[in-house]
Amino acid sequence: MNLPGGPNHRPTDRSIPADRAMTPAIQRLRSLDLQRSVIYFGFLGIFLFFAVTLHDDGFLTSRNLTNIVLQTAPATVMAIGLVFALSAGEIDLSFGSIVAVSALSAAVAMQSYPMFVGVLAGLGAGIAIGCMNGVLVAYLRLPSFLVTLATMGLFAGIARSMTDLRSIPVVHDGFTGFFGSGKLFSIPSLVLWTVAAVIVGHVVYRHTRFGAHVLAVGDNAHAAQVSGIKVSRVRVHVLTLCGATAGLAGLLYAGRLQAAKYTLGESDLMTVIAAVIIGGTALNGGRGSVVGALLGSLLMGMLNNGLILMGLRVSDQMIVRGLIILVAVAVSLRDGNR
Amino acid sequence: MYDLSKCLSAALLLGLTVTSASAQTIGPGGETATPSTLVLVADDQVAAVRAASYTAALLWHDQSDFVNAVTAGASDEFARLGIEVVAVTSAGFDAAKQRSDIETALAKEPSIILSLPLDPVTSAAAFEEAREAGVSLTFLSNLPSGYEHPADYSAIVTDDLFEMGKQAADALAEAMGNEGTVGWIFHDATYYVTNQRDNAFRTTIEKDYPNISIVAEQGISDPARAEEIANAMLLKNPDLGGIYVTWAGPAEGVLAALRANDNTTTKIVTLDLSEPIALDMVRGGNVVAIVADEAYELGRAMAASAVLDLLGQEVPPFVVAPALTVTADNVVEGWNQSLNMDPPSSVTGAN
Repeated sequence: MNLPGGPNHRPTDRSIPADRAMTPAIQRLRSLDLQRSVIYFGFLGIFLFFAVTLHDDGFLTSRNLTNIVLQTAPATVMAIGLVFALSAGEIDLSFGSIVAVSALSAAVAMQSYPMFVGVLAGLGAGIAIGCMNGVLVAYLRLPSFLVTLATMGLFAGIARSMTDLRSIPVVHDGFTGFFGSGKLFSIPSLVLWTVAAVIVGHVVYRHTRFGAHVLAVGDNAHAAQVSGIKVSRVRVHVLTLCGATAGLAGLLYAGRLQAAKYTLGESDLMTVIAAVIIGGTALNGGRGSVVGALLGSLLMGMLNNGLILMGLRVSDQMIVRGLIILVAVAVSLRDGNR
Repeated sequence: MYDLSKCLSAALLLGLTVTSASAQTIGPGGETATPSTLVLVADDQVAAVRAASYTAALLWHDQSDFVNAVTAGASDEFARLGIEVVAVTSAGFDAAKQRSDIETALAKEPSIILSLPLDPVTSAAAFEEAREAGVSLTFLSNLPSGYEHPADYSAIVTDDLFEMGKQAADALAEAMGNEGTVGWIFHDATYYVTNQRDNAFRTTIEKDYPNISIVAEQGISDPARAEEIANAMLLKNPDLGGIYVTWAGPAEGVLAALRANDNTTTKIVTLDLSEPIALDMVRGGNVVAIVADEAYELGRAMAASAVLDLLGQEVPPFVVAPALTVTADNVVEGWNQSLNMDPPSSVTGAN
């Protein structure tokens, strides 16, 4: 079955006139969808720019390149959840607060209980909050923007009150190794988490019935409902998935910092949304890319890294980063979201 | 070889510490304070420092006039010593970004890192890689948990925190004629710097001013809520003689509340320089004094501490820069002494 909005569906194709009269070369050029490719060209272009200009400043060292992946691992995981939510025509603004609640839940639990209880507490908190968002959106028919805006504030407050604004150390070596500083066959665990999340996310998004349903709901919810898809259930599932990925990101932060704090994830909202949009996911649903989100996240990390190594003043770093993101987002959205 | 001159210098340093520094400001680990003016790289050491080709990274917690002044103080001292600053970052109070900034800066292999650890718990792992790499770490105000002096860091440099709170109490008491009621708006977080300053204000009022009583107290963690907190405080205590506000950001909200209530009698004292607060002060408004730190001197002392550490000299573990009370009468001098810059033209124009 080739569902509308399914893996093979190309909403933008509808705007392309019949290609029968075109030469093969022109057809190939037309098929180069700029908005889909911008992340690849942008990523490559910025990487080459930093590789040339910062050749003597350590940018190309394996340690620095690995650092970029490590630093962006939590954002990448969150971005994957957001790809699903945006593709279904929903948005989650609360994932930053979920990160903090999850990290703190895990850290507090591990002060008294074994590691697996901490992991369950962290992931469980993320899944529960995401599910709550989903139920409010799907069954009370409230806009996800407003629901998650409210829960963002709600859980930011809960994160603050959970530990009375204190940071909680995570001293469990197994946890910090598994989610933070550990390695398997010399590969850092955060790299493995990133790879695993992207593979699972991509397969689910592109090659499962659930992924097809997500795209169908985002492309045209009414049509999806008529074709037998349980739209409300899909909405609950994507927002629960968003909560779960935010919960996992909270565990990765807690492992990496060997501590949890109420501010974790607070500054990730705009970074993750920008990464997902630059990566080719449509703000209004029906189109997205998990691999694009990975590259978008790495692009954001590479910008932070390269601009620091260039020795720019902090304000100049912010200006340059903002301009590059503006251009990238503008090009990404140029065709898809007008 | 045992260096007698270094030993004597250290003894002299410690002796002066007892007499010159505030007796009340103590380090996060209970360290005795040493005045920043005693931490100096002597002219005859400059050639050796220049020959070593050291580099430095300034990895700050945020961006502000204060951070700019600390950066200027450190950069000027590094320039005098021929040390290149290879990276400057701002973590925006994000513990994860601070760790990323440290990792990124290490790609440039700096000899020195100056930084404000965001909090003891999250910073311990963040600075671990730099510590293991043998980078000379000098901290502003906070100390990562488990770090030992002198093995792990050269010094903590901070304000004379007790003195800042005390001077705020003295200034408010003087403006109130040493009597009346006070509201105390403190920073509601476990944060070494603000906790010490806030508690010093309270201690001083309670100990030194028997005719002044703190009748209202409210914690604040979000500066945006300052106005509503002040409104509630004024509703319950309409005759409040003065309000202490933990720093200038929320003080702007408190000032807005007083203006909205047409209250011209309640005095405000706060900490850290801010243009709107200073403007009200020079116009004879509610603000009677701002207690500031010498941020430029903090930066200079941090740079000097790091360099002395690299030279193998003994550096005191806890260094404090003086506090100064800025009023309408000394706003230009105070601004220059604190931030190494002239006050904004709006402030000087209104003076």
